[in-house]
Amino acid sequence: MSTTNSPRPMVRAERVHKNFGSVRVLKGIDLEVSPGEVCCVVGPSGSGKSTLLRCVNHLEKINAGRLYVDGELVGYRQRGDKLYEMREREVAAQRRDIGMVFQRFNLFPHMTAAENVMEAPVQVKGLRRAEARQRAEELLARVGLADRMGNYPSQLSGGQQQRVAIARALAMDPKLMLFDEPTSALDPELVGEVLDVMRALAEDGMTMIVVTHEMGFAREVGDSLVFMDDGLVVEAGDPREVLANPRQERTRAFLSKVL
Amino acid sequence: MSDSRDRLSKEPGDEPPSGGGLKDRVPPEAIRAVPVRHWGRWIGVAVVFALLAALFQAFRGADINWDVVGEFLTYDTIVEGAGKTLWITVLSMLLGVVLGVVLAIMRLSRNPVLAGVAWGYIWFFRGTPVLVQLFLWYNLSFVFETVNLGFYKDEMNDFMTPFLAALLGLGLNEAAYMAEIARAGIQSVDHGQTEAAHALGMNNGKTLRRIVLPQAMRVIVPPTGNEFINMLKTSSLVYAIQYTELFRAGNTISSRNLAVMEMLIVVTVWYLILTTVFSIGQYYLERYFARGNERSRPPTPFQRARARARLLGSRGEGAGSGSVGGV
Repeated sequence: MSTTNSPRPMVRAERVHKNFGSVRVLKGIDLEVSPGEVCCVVGPSGSGKSTLLRCVNHLEKINAGRLYVDGELVGYRQRGDKLYEMREREVAAQRRDIGMVFQRFNLFPHMTAAENVMEAPVQVKGLRRAEARQRAEELLARVGLADRMGNYPSQLSGGQQQRVAIARALAMDPKLMLFDEPTSALDPELVGEVLDVMRALAEDGMTMIVVTHEMGFAREVGDSLVFMDDGLVVEAGDPREVLANPRQERTRAFLSKVL
Repeated sequence: MSDSRDRLSKEPGDEPPSGGGLKDRVPPEAIRAVPVRHWGRWIGVAVVFALLAALFQAFRGADINWDVVGEFLTYDTIVEGAGKTLWITVLSMLLGVVLGVVLAIMRLSRNPVLAGVAWGYIWFFRGTPVLVQLFLWYNLSFVFETVNLGFYKDEMNDFMTPFLAALLGLGLNEAAYMAEIARAGIQSVDHGQTEAAHALGMNNGKTLRRIVLPQAMRVIVPPTGNEFINMLKTSSLVYAIQYTELFRAGNTISSRNLAVMEMLIVVTVWYLILTTVFSIGQYYLERYFARGNERSRPPTPFQRARARARLLGSRGEGAGSGSVGGV
C-alpha cells in the first residue's frame, strides 16, 4: 500500500492499541499513509475504524504502540527512553495541521457558514478578519456554496453542512485530512455532492484517510484500502484488487454483505 | 451523479400531479359546519367577572387614600429607593453570574479539589436562608474587628457598610444558583462541538469562550432572567440590614405619615414597573442567543404587528382568493 522508497510517510501507526476501560478497541494496528495518498478504511461497525481515526489527531489517547504524523509522534515527546505527555498548547498546535470531518458535521450552530470557516484561522492563526473572510469566500466557492456565506447551519441541507465542514477544515491549510464516515448521516440523494468535493480534494493531491461505507468511492478515488475487523487490520492493498479478489475469508464475508 | 441531475432537470416541480382533465376540476365546496359550543367556558367567564366585580366593589369601599398613592409614586426618596433597588440587583446579579460561571467550570473540572470546593460552596450558600446570610455579613464586625486585605486595611465597622453587606449577601448567594444554571447550560452543548473545536486546533479556553458558552447561553439566559426578576424582589430583604432601597424607603415614609397601605401600594407599583421592564429586556436577550436556531426564535412584537398588517392588507386586495400561506 505504501511505496517503500517514499521519503517519509504522512501517517505511520506501529502496533497501536487502544482500550476503553476493559474493552480493547484497537489491538495492534500497523498502517502507513504516504503524502498525497487517499487511504480508505472500511469494516463493520465496532471494528475500531473511527477510533483509529480519532487517535491520529489525539482526540483519543492510545494505550500502546506509536503513532506518527509527518514524522512527529502524536501527543507525546520522546526524550531518551522516556515519553512525555504534550501540553495542551502543543497538542493544539499539532492538530492545526490535521483537518477532520465528522459524521455529524459538528458545525458551530451559532455561526454562519462563513463564520464557521473563519473561526479557526482568526482565533488560532491570528489571521485578520478581512483576510479570513476572503479565504472563507474562496473555500466556500470551492465546495460550491459561494451563495450560502450568510446562512446558519440550520438553514442548510445535510450535504451543504458537510461541505461547509470540509471548507472549515481546509481553512487551516492541513497537510492531512481525516474523514469519519462523512456521508453516513446524509440522505442518499445528498451523498453524491459531498463525495464530489472529496474527489476534487483527492485530485488536488491532499493526503486523506477516509473511514467510509461508500465502496464505489473507495474503488474510484482510493489509492489504498484497509479492511478492519475487531480492532485489527485484516487486509490492505489496492482497493480495486481487494474489492474484486479479497484474500481473507472475513473480508469476503463483509464485502458480500455491503456490495 | 449525472443521471440524478438529469432526473432533477426533467422535473419542473410546479406542475400539479397528473390526473387527466385537471383543468375542468373544481375544488369541492368549502366546509361550513356549526362549531362546537363551549358552554363551560362561558360559565367560567361569568364566574370570573363576578369575582372581579366583587373585588373592585370591595376596594372602592376600602379606606385607601389614592391621592397619597399618586403623590408619593414620584416622591424623591421613593424614586431614589427604586434606583437603589435596581443598582443592588444589577451588581448582585453581576457578581452572581461571573462567580457562578467560574463555579460551574470548577464543578465540571476533572480536578477533584476544584470540583469539591465548588460543591461545598454551593452546598453552603444554597443550604442557608439569604436573610441569615445577610445578617452574617452585616454583623461580621462582632468577630473581626479589622479587615486586612493586604493592600487595604480598615475597621470592619466602617468597611462592612449596609451596601457591601447587601451586595455580598445577595451576590454570593446568587452565585450558588447561577452555578447550577450555568452547569446545566454547559452540559447541554453537544460534545461534538468541543471535539470539532479541538480538531481545528483551538485550546480549551478558546473552545469554552467561543464555542461552548455562546451555545450554553441559550439554555442559561431564560432561567437567569427569572433569577434577575427574583433578585429584584429578594433585594427587599436588605431593608433588614439598613440599606435604603425601595421597600425601606416606603417603610420610612409610612412610619412618618402613617399611610401604611398607601405606601405599600406605591412600592408594589414600582416593583411591577421594574419587573415588567426587565421581562421585556429578557425577551430580546433570549432572541439574540437563539440566533442560528430559527425555530425557537419568536418574532418581536413589532415584527408580528407588521406581519399582521401585511396580512390584512393582502386580504383586502385579493379578497376571496384565500391564500394566507403566501404571507
